[in-house]
Amino acid sequence: MGLWRTSSEDRRRRPFLTKETGIRLLEMFVGGIIFLVLLQVLLGFSVFDATFWARFWNSYTRGLVGTLVFTAIIIPVSVVIGFLGGWARVSRHRVASWPVAVYVDFFRGIPPLVLIIFAYLFGQDFLPPRVFGRGGAYTVAALALALHSGAYQVEIFRAGFQSIPRGQMEAAHAVGMGQWQSMRHIILPQTLRLSLPPLANEFATVIKDTSLLGVVGATEMFALAQEFQQQMVTFGIGPLVWVFSVWTSVALTYFVMTFLVTRVLLALEHRFHTPGLEALSL
Amino acid sequence: MLRGVSLDVARGEVVVVVGPSGSGKSTLLRCINLLVEPDEGRVFIDGVHVNTPAIRPEWVRQQVGMVFQSFNLFTHLTALQNVTVGLIRVKDESKDAAEAKGKELLARVGLAAKENAYPAELSGGQQQRVAIARALAMDPKAILFDEPTSALDPEYIREVLDVMTTLARDGMTMIVVSHEMGFARSVATRLIFLDEGKIIEEGVPEEVFVHPKHERTRAFVSKILR
Repeated sequence: MGLWRTSSEDRRRRPFLTKETGIRLLEMFVGGIIFLVLLQVLLGFSVFDATFWARFWNSYTRGLVGTLVFTAIIIPVSVVIGFLGGWARVSRHRVASWPVAVYVDFFRGIPPLVLIIFAYLFGQDFLPPRVFGRGGAYTVAALALALHSGAYQVEIFRAGFQSIPRGQMEAAHAVGMGQWQSMRHIILPQTLRLSLPPLANEFATVIKDTSLLGVVGATEMFALAQEFQQQMVTFGIGPLVWVFSVWTSVALTYFVMTFLVTRVLLALEHRFHTPGLEALSL
Repeated sequence: MLRGVSLDVARGEVVVVVGPSGSGKSTLLRCINLLVEPDEGRVFIDGVHVNTPAIRPEWVRQQVGMVFQSFNLFTHLTALQNVTVGLIRVKDESKDAAEAKGKELLARVGLAAKENAYPAELSGGQQQRVAIARALAMDPKAILFDEPTSALDPEYIREVLDVMTTLARDGMTMIVVSHEMGFARSVATRLIFLDEGKIIEEGVPEEVFVHPKHERTRAFVSKILR
């Protein structure tokens, strides 16, 4: 026992929120403050300006809520697609793996912007308007983004499955586990652990890609910020220097969202740390 | 791979299988616990014909344990969890009962102190001993060893062979694919020479080593005894 606890017993019960995570959060917070103070001093504008926020608040919060809602739709849907698709992709059965291969090729190759536009134009035909109202088309557009990200995640999970040596499955069978038990207790825990780092990457991309939904007029942060900037310039709502404040706050908000989500995945990584699964540490 | 192999192993016997690579040794073992489905022929365990649709291969594998050349311990589980996972998930034993049994088995292979270590934190010899404990946990009628020491550094071979020898002395039925001639000489009740999917020669180890009847056996034995 000492300052650095490295015994296996400790590692098995690693807490979800580690001290490292706390220190990083503090670092980021201090870094953010310094960044803002520098902006203030150098450029003479402030993202703390009360009159600016009085004007921008409405657009900002509506946009933020939209962005959060879209993220909350896209991430779970795309993870489910990616996980099941990745699993199907490693199946011996061609009927399962082949359609997924086609899906991945298709959705990785099409620009997400085009997908969104198509989904928006034809989305209303798919959903009963009585349930979804005018928002239906935007939901479909978000689902199109989920399909786009899902294609990438299929490959993430496929790689996760394929990095488990054959012997693991064989040994599971040898102790008498069936196909499903071997999957559930031996293969999946390792696959999921190995998929976490690339998944964090993909989630960061997804969060920022929600801004593409603004192109078809969905209520989200990027679009509302742009709209506010337009009004400022056209109607002289405030000084031009506010333009910087708008985009700084938008950037910071995306940053905080991305940071929090990737930190959650990093904490999971620590929680399920396994020597031997991460063979290399330099 | 296998062509007309007929092998009858009595309870408590230790059969060592030798033969050049590609001769079908691994396939023979895998046919016994149905990791490989035999195309033809019948496999009996304790008088029960097991390679029929009526019998679940999972059940067969509980009757016959297996130890692999590359250990194949479950990477994400500790030594103790490797031993208990089958008890808990397959035999539906309580966690407490399984852990008590697991600890006892780890002690039996000399690894009581390593129960919380992950496979990557153990030496090859230690990993293989955990693998033996894992196989023992299911109370098998027999254990198959597929070149258990071939992947080990020389200094770890002894400890694994010692555990296997103790097992054999305790009356475990074992079929061992191995070229450890010292082990075969001192422990095996029978030696089988397999080549091109056929049993070329079988007999008491000493007999086969000293007076091989077939030309191929002679050539092979002279190579491995050097």
